Formats: sequence, C-alpha cells, structure tokens
Amino acid sequence: RAHSNPFSDHQLEYPLSPDEMDWDRLYPHFVDEATGAMTKEVTIADIGCGFGGLLIDLSPAFADKLILGMEIRVQVTNYVEDRIIALRTNHAETNAYQNINVLRANSMKFLPNFFHKAQLEKMFFCFPDPHFKQRKHKARIITNTLLSEYAYVLKEGGVVYTITDVLDLHEWMVKHLEEHPLFERLSTEWEDQDECVEIMRNATEEGKKVERKKGAKYVACFTRLPTPEIV
Amino acid sequence: MIHPIQSSLATKDGTVLFFVVKNTIHTLRWEEGRGEFVAIGMWVDDADNSDTIKAKVREEQQRQLAENEAKRQKTNDGNSNKPSIKEAKVPVPGQGAPPVFKHIRNMALSRDETLLMACTDSDKALVVFELDYTNAENCLKLRKRQPLPKRPNALTTTTDDKTVLVADKFGDVYALSTKEGVVQEAALEPILGHVSLLTDIVVAKEADGKQLIITADRDEHIRITHYPQTFVINKWLYGSKQFVSTLCLPSWGPNLLFSGGGDSLVHSWNWESGKLLDSLDISEIVEPYLGDAQLAPEKFQNETNSLIEYAVAKVVTFANIPYIAFFVEQTKVVLICRVDPDIGAITLAQKIEMPFNIISLSSALSANLLTLTLDNRDSDDSRFAAFISYDGTEFLVDAEKNNAFEKCVLHKFENDPIVNVEPRDVYPLYHIASLRKRGEHFS
Repeated sequence: RAHSNPFSDHQLEYPLSPDEMDWDRLYPHFVDEATGAMTKEVTIADIGCGFGGLLIDLSPAFADKLILGMEIRVQVTNYVEDRIIALRTNHAETNAYQNINVLRANSMKFLPNFFHKAQLEKMFFCFPDPHFKQRKHKARIITNTLLSEYAYVLKEGGVVYTITDVLDLHEWMVKHLEEHPLFERLSTEWEDQDECVEIMRNATEEGKKVERKKGAKYVACFTRLPTPEIV
Repeated sequence: MIHPIQSSLATKDGTVLFFVVKNTIHTLRWEEGRGEFVAIGMWVDDADNSDTIKAKVREEQQRQLAENEAKRQKTNDGNSNKPSIKEAKVPVPGQGAPPVFKHIRNMALSRDETLLMACTDSDKALVVFELDYTNAENCLKLRKRQPLPKRPNALTTTTDDKTVLVADKFGDVYALSTKEGVVQEAALEPILGHVSLLTDIVVAKEADGKQLIITADRDEHIRITHYPQTFVINKWLYGSKQFVSTLCLPSWGPNLLFSGGGDSLVHSWNWESGKLLDSLDISEIVEPYLGDAQLAPEKFQNETNSLIEYAVAKVVTFANIPYIAFFVEQTKVVLICRVDPDIGAITLAQKIEMPFNIISLSSALSANLLTLTLDNRDSDDSRFAAFISYDGTEFLVDAEKNNAFEKCVLHKFENDPIVNVEPRDVYPLYHIASLRKRGEHFS
C-alpha cells in the first residue's frame, strides 16, 4: 500500500517513555558488553524512511552516529529490516551498517515516546505524502503544531531537512517552518556544501524515481533556534 | 419520563449550580436559610446549524468549481462551458442514519466566576455567558457564540480569565478571547496540537506566575506546553498505560497533578519535575461494582466472555482539604482518597455507594461539596442528583440537599417539553469507554 492513515488506531508497538525503549535490539553492535548499556544514542532520524535508501547512504557518511528510520507501513518496514540484515551480514567483517535501523512507528503521534528532549541532531522528511486535498492538510507531516514536537526532540542547532517533488507541498513546508519561532531557514550556500543534502537529493528511491522522470526536487533546510526566554 | 442530568458544575462556594439536560443549561441557587433550591436561569441551545452547513457546502462547491475550471483550462483550450451555479443544498440524514444529539458538554466557570462557558455539539461552538445574578428572570446572558472547526471537547481559562482555551476532538487547542467578538472560522489557528483526540485541558501556574497548559489525549499522553509561548513544549508526563480521560490540579499540593483514564490506575504526578509520584491501583476497589456494562464489546471479547474494561471518568478535588474524588464510568460508587500533599501518595479513604450509576461528578471547591448526577432512567425514582459534603472528619450524603434538589427539579421539569422524553430518546450518557483504542488497522 502506498499510504497509511496517521489518524487510525494502528496495531503499534511503542515504549511508554524514551527511557523504556529497547535500543540494544536495534543496534547490538553499540551495546557495552560489560554493562549491557548503549554506548551511543540515536541522533539522526529519517521520518517516513520509505524503502531505506537514505539510511543506507547516510550509514557510511556518519559511521559514528546512530541513525533511525521510522516508517508507518508494515510491509515497507519489514522490507527495510530485511535489507539492513542482509547488508550487515554481507559486511560482517567491517561491521558496516551496524549504525542504522528501522522501526515501525506513527511518528506523528509517538515521537516523544522514543526520543528525549534535544536528543536529535538531524531529522529528515524526504518525499512525504503530499495529501493534496485541503481538508487532509492536518495529515501532512509538517504542520505548525507538529513542528513544536520536532523542535522539542531536536537540539539547538539541529537541522530539519525537507525534500519533495511537489511544489505545493514544498511551499507549505517552507511556510510553516518559516512561521515557526524555533526554526530558521538555512541558505542555499549552506545546502550546497552540506553532504546530507547531496545524499538526500540522490539516495532515496523516491528521489531516483523523480530523477528518472526528470522532475524537479525542492529542498529546504532549517536550523533549530535556541529556545527564547520563557515569559 | 424526565431526562437524566448529564453534567453539573458548581461555584466554589457551592451556592450556584449549573446543570445540563440535553441541549439546555439550568441554573439553581441554594438558599441556605430556606433549605431549598431556586431556579435562577436557563438557556436552550436552539441553534439551527443549517446555515453554517450551508455556508460550508457553498464554500466547498465554490472550491470544487474553481478546481474543475482550472483543470478544464488545462485540457481543452478555451472551449469550456461555464458551469451553472446551483444553490447549496443542506445534506439531510437519510433513514436509518444515526440520530444527531445537540449535546452541551464541558461547562466551565472563569476563575473569577463572572463567566460561564460551555461547548455545544450542535454547531461545534464555544458559548460564553455573563452571569448576571441581579437579573431575576435569567442570570445567563449569552455574550458570544464562537463556531469552531472541529468538535470542542474540553475547556479552561488562562489565569487572567481573558482567554478561553478550547481543546477539540481533532487534537487542536484554540485560544479565544472571552471579551472580544466572534472570529471568522478561517482565521482561527490552533495554538498547539496533538495528533490525537484531546480529552482534557488545565492551566498550571509556576511559582513565578508563568503559565503552563497541560493537555491529555487518548494516546496515553499528558503534554505540558508553555503559555503564551505555546511553540515551546515543556515536557511529557510518561506512565499512563491507556487513554487519559481526566486531569485535576489541586491548589493545596505544590506542583501536583492527578489523572485518570482507561488503565485502572489513578496517577499522581509532579508536573514540575515530570515524575510519576504514585499510582493507585483501583482494580480491587471497583471490582464489586463492575458488571455487564463493563464487558468489552463482542467484537473484542475473549472466548469465555469475561474481558472487562473500565475507565475513570472524572477526578475532582477541593480547595482546602487534601482529598480527591473520582468514579469509574457506569458504576454506582464514588471513591474518595486522601493525598499526602508532600509526596503525592494516594490512599483510599471512603467509598460511597449511590442508588444508580453515576453520570457526572463535580466539586464546589471551597465548600467541600460534591455533586453527582445519577442515571435514574430505569426506575420510578426521581433522584437525579446526589450531594456529598464534608463534616470535618468524613464525607456524608447530604440528605437535605438531595431532597431539596429533587423537589425543585420535579417542580421545574413537570411541564417542560424539552426534558420530558420517551426512554428511547435519552441522549447517550457515557462517552469515556469509547475512547479505548482497538488497533483495528494492521497496515
């Protein structure tokens, strides 16, 4: 299935709180053998990771960071899981791809169940569902109310990456991010020198599809501003 | 028969009581000297929502026409026929369609008790009343009626009473002025939102006077957000195992918050530190009061037909004594617990059984008085409500008030065509159980 309704009651598994999340199952290579504790925490999240192309290309580029893909569609999540298991098996001697994994989750509802305040450095929103109909706009992954949740899990100076081939959605995401007091757009110069933008443009399956069709790809990146003084 | 009372709300001193029957709000005053209730105000929600529906249909029609027009120009070059514009039709529910109930839900008083606010289901509006007790005819004066995009479900005011915060079933919270006029629906922007149905909203005040909005939803979340900087989330309170249906902020416990919902626990939190202080397991306490009403729906039932589901419907407290009171939906018992204000520990103090299932519970904060409304529909009994007061050592049913209320209501409702109904026309009285998530969608 191409779509999943984020408002439905899905059969989902999620921890009661970030402290109760079992990360060692996803990143066994990053468990301290003596204490059983994680040596690192996830700092990069790909929200709606689809078939996992971005995760796989980010993995070697950020070998010392834990990267998590979140995807709501069961079959797609299973596919990415299998893909990562195969990659890990084929690269067993170098321990490559140990730093990426995928979770089935409705991140519009349960992001705060997985991440602590200011835990993330980067969040990716690649080719999100455009939800063309106006009355479905709340189902879009970028809304002014959800941005406050993303700002909560992002650390100061963290980056939100967006890319889409739908101009209307691009303008929508830019508008909402620009209007949000905790985000500021990064310049095109910044985009041009950032390796994630480069990867994001070329890595994802959706991106490649757009490339084949010679469609446009719209990128916008935003930095998480410091939280102002509370009044 | 007279329709049961769906909810009640009392002023802090307990002298004025507001209650809802169907689409009406009634106001009674307690005359201490005479020992009787006197009717002092009433409002009927007679909103005809066909105009708002018509406006919406027209708007959608225009939008579709514009869209079609745009598409037409794309495909044929200039050969388009102008579509004729028809008058918008208000859709009428067909035969067998579920009945529409004009509920009034979730009344609230402003902190200074000069305003009464309520949510209407008929046109999804917030209604604000000025309370003018000098008006002998009717103390309820409608100040404004603000239609909202989605069904409002809970409301409160900011500490200065200038703003009403309305939480809706779509997960959004709107801030609306109590004074200024109605805002066009298109101009309304939510100040915060969950991607989940919101069940309750309260405003907490930090020691330095800064405000925090606390919202609860049916995805186990209790979220704390700064106000007015609602773009800054303060924290989540983690630990609810099921949907949260009710929040309660006491004035006597520093940073304490109580919550109840579908998880057979009543939680006490410190909203400042984010810590869960105590969870009272009520499963054994309520067990004797559960029955067929708590059996899970057939579709989700187990093989032995023994799966029981229940939820705390409402938690309330008092201004000056460290007690909380709550009840489980569709049970007859109200549970009163003592709380240690320093550590938040909850201990059961009293169980008081009612003659019928409790529909709603409210507290007159400084009068240490509880009002319960009762589901007496299957009896000839006319006890629509019960009052429980505190005598300094324990809580007791206030028989004098009960009788006075019964007398007043019977007299008032005798010939009221709105509240006299056939049994089949009674509005749904229980709304909490349906919040339980079923996870029916697998992909």
